[in-house]
Amino acid sequence: MQRSQTLGEILDSRGVSRRAFLKYASYVSALMALPAGSAAAMAEGLAAARRQSVIWLSFQECTGCTESLTRSFSPTLESLIFDFISLDYHHTLQAASGEAAEKARETAMAENKGKYIVVVDGAVSTKDGGLYSTIAGVANVDMLRASVKDALAVIAVGTCAAFGGIPKARPNPTGAAPVDEIVTDKPVINIPGCPPIPEAMAGVISYLVSFGKLPELDDLRRPKAFFGETIHDRCYRRPFYERGLFADGFDDAGARQGYCLYKVGCKGPVTYNSCATLKWNGGVSFPIQSGHGCLGCSEPDFWDQGGFYRPLSTSLRDLGPALAGAAVAGAALGAGAAWASRRHQAAYVKEQAASEGGKK
Amino acid sequence: MTLAPASSHPHAPREAPALTGMADAVLAEVAARLEDYAETGRAATIELTAMPLTTEDRAELEAWLGRGEVAVTIESAGHSEIWETRFSGVWFVRHFGEGDRIATESIEIADAPLIVRSHPADMRAAARRLAALCADQSTRTRRDA
Ligand code: SF4
Repeated sequence: MQRSQTLGEILDSRGVSRRAFLKYASYVSALMALPAGSAAAMAEGLAAARRQSVIWLSFQECTGCTESLTRSFSPTLESLIFDFISLDYHHTLQAASGEAAEKARETAMAENKGKYIVVVDGAVSTKDGGLYSTIAGVANVDMLRASVKDALAVIAVGTCAAFGGIPKARPNPTGAAPVDEIVTDKPVINIPGCPPIPEAMAGVISYLVSFGKLPELDDLRRPKAFFGETIHDRCYRRPFYERGLFADGFDDAGARQGYCLYKVGCKGPVTYNSCATLKWNGGVSFPIQSGHGCLGCSEPDFWDQGGFYRPLSTSLRDLGPALAGAAVAGAALGAGAAWASRRHQAAYVKEQAASEGGKK
Repeated sequence: MTLAPASSHPHAPREAPALTGMADAVLAEVAARLEDYAETGRAATIELTAMPLTTEDRAELEAWLGRGEVAVTIESAGHSEIWETRFSGVWFVRHFGEGDRIATESIEIADAPLIVRSHPADMRAAARRLAALCADQSTRTRRDA
């Protein structure tokens, strides 16, 4: 396959028609809520583009982000993204290893000077010269600086790359930092999430390739198309929230009725992401639909927000009057909930004691 | 406030309204666009995928629009089903993704949906392939003769 060929030519030689491009473009523009008619323009842009060189750097991470993007895609609409990019370096996925792998990265950089995209997953260790995380003897921070030198753009995938994530959680022993603290002279796009929604990654890359520009970003550099609304804005449990009907535990009558999970720690009201609409695993479900509150995994410092099961009771200023009102009601009810759970606990202890006694 | 379609799930709020009135709104837009198209030839697409329609809303909309004379299936990057509704020029376009779930759904107001038409690039490639086939055939015929 020649690098000079357009995606249209490459796919045509494999019997993939322009209809596939149009279909893929309709899918991405629906995901990103692009104006009607953008699909045709995106399809033409994609077909005329060259295969996008991508250098993927994995730093202080758990490989969950890669797992999310490559999860068992069958050869359908969603997997076309892998035909549009050339993953020139990804040390988990590439066949080459050792020096050959590093050589592949350098070659891709030289051949696609000014045009390649660097994707980073994982935070960047900066303490003591970054020696806590190295690849082929090179500190992550140095490899990042060298790799982005001639990049078109940098995509920080996952909360660790975007905001420091779990490696940066207190006490942050490795001096973990987000990508945009190191890369200051190139456009950086953050796609946070632990892991991020695969559609968001595919959507942003497709947009870049077909239109040659960045999608609209918010003040945390997140694409507005996927991070423009909170989980709470689009949550199907919202009618219960509005009526003040909350689950007090994970196994009480309220939980079984599908009541709002605010009091068991849901961070949906302050979390910007698309889980409530795009969902996970091919649209099957998302945490709240499976009965667990949102952890807020796509927000900065989500690990250090005082506990996943503690209700959001602080910083009501930013939430708007309706939410603050319900939150206060929630807090007042919270005292009752604590009493109920203590009573539950007491009953359990008594039961235990009785059965122990019975055994004797 | 918006409601995501969730009525299929046991935890879905039972009291959530099944019909939200969104289908009426979409239908009104279809009517306006169709009138415009008939007059000016301006085609339009109404994207349904991200609209806060409940499952019941979607079914209602589909039932109102009904099925007309033409139905098309496309096998390209997965399966697609397209049909003209009982209103000429109003097409329902449904693309399926992984695991046969609906990836996108839209209503197109046009003489034919864009994806049904043959693309000039595909036709150029097809012409080359067909010419090669003809050349191949004629060599074979000559050899056999
Ligand atoms: S608090 Fe959580 S469960 Fe309740 S409506 Fe908001 S996002 Fe949904």
